[in-house]
Amino acid sequence: MARQADRVILLLACLAGLPAPALAQSGQPATVTVQSTRDPVDKSYRKMIRGMERFERERAMAPNAPLRFQLLPRSPTVDMRGITLRVAGNTVSVSVPVAEDNSFVLPRNETALREDAAVLANRKTTSMTWRALIVTPGLPPGTRRLGDMRLECRVGVEAGLVSNSSPLFSWINEALTSPEQVCGSPNGNYLYFAERPIFAVRLRAGERVETLPFRMLYAGGEQSKTDLQYCDCQVMLDRTFYAPIWDASWPDDTLVEFEYMEDAP
Amino acid sequence: MKLLAFIVSLCLLAGCAGTPAPPGAQVALDRLQQGVVPGTTTKAQLLAAFGPTKSVVFDSGFESWVYQSPAGGGQFSEFVVLINPAGVVTKTRTRPAALP
Repeated sequence: MARQADRVILLLACLAGLPAPALAQSGQPATVTVQSTRDPVDKSYRKMIRGMERFERERAMAPNAPLRFQLLPRSPTVDMRGITLRVAGNTVSVSVPVAEDNSFVLPRNETALREDAAVLANRKTTSMTWRALIVTPGLPPGTRRLGDMRLECRVGVEAGLVSNSSPLFSWINEALTSPEQVCGSPNGNYLYFAERPIFAVRLRAGERVETLPFRMLYAGGEQSKTDLQYCDCQVMLDRTFYAPIWDASWPDDTLVEFEYMEDAP
Repeated sequence: MKLLAFIVSLCLLAGCAGTPAPPGAQVALDRLQQGVVPGTTTKAQLLAAFGPTKSVVFDSGFESWVYQSPAGGGQFSEFVVLINPAGVVTKTRTRPAALP
């Protein structure tokens, strides 16, 4: 939140320094017509396609992994079964099949692109969060691959999937963060979710094995109840962790191993 | 003199006071490793023996507590305890000091 506040202050400072052409020229206030507003949590089809294009450009990080997107719970009461998804433009509506794990592949549709369509689920927008899902096949159970996660971050931020802000701040936040800033910095704070509640997360690259510090689990362990409502980790706090995706000393093939709170059911 | 005041101001703004200890009560590692037994030690016993520390409580009723153990040179080992909804320690782990 502190970083968001910094950005808001920066932006307000910039705005305060701008001239006021609307009043200066004619003495009359200028009129701005807003044609429509999009819910800040709705997903932009164009942005998601940009995320897919970034995946293609940078897939050397995860050369054997396909790209999917995934819907995850954010509100405690959301029913994650039977979700339907569509790409909706002014004249086009394309149904998107959703798998049992709520992952999906976004189809490419030129009309939807032209019409700046939205990607909509049949759930309240604030009840779920979205992520890119890039998983190399054949990994040992209970592990991820760091290169896959690096690319997930870049695709996810490019696609505008993460909505950790209050609606007031979300557009400012998006305007001031690029995938390089978020995914290339220790302060990027891109959250990952394990399949089940975690007790420890270890990195393994050859002989080098290190356990992540406590501050990298559970969204830093600093979230108050009030903070949590603005975190898309809200109902998955016990599955949440940061990964050192910014640290080039860990190669893409690094295995991220999970020790769960409880054994598999 | 003005330059010195400027540098001091910058230091204050940037936090020149040195790296603070990570959050969590400080307890010797051997005390923790000997005194906390998964499947046996309760939350009440943990509190009585080592005091409150940084913790995260989850909706599931599980809690994760972290103690810091001084390891010399301003470094700290982490001792993490998992407590189940019944109030019993189910897992512990130690993260050695001097890792990033």
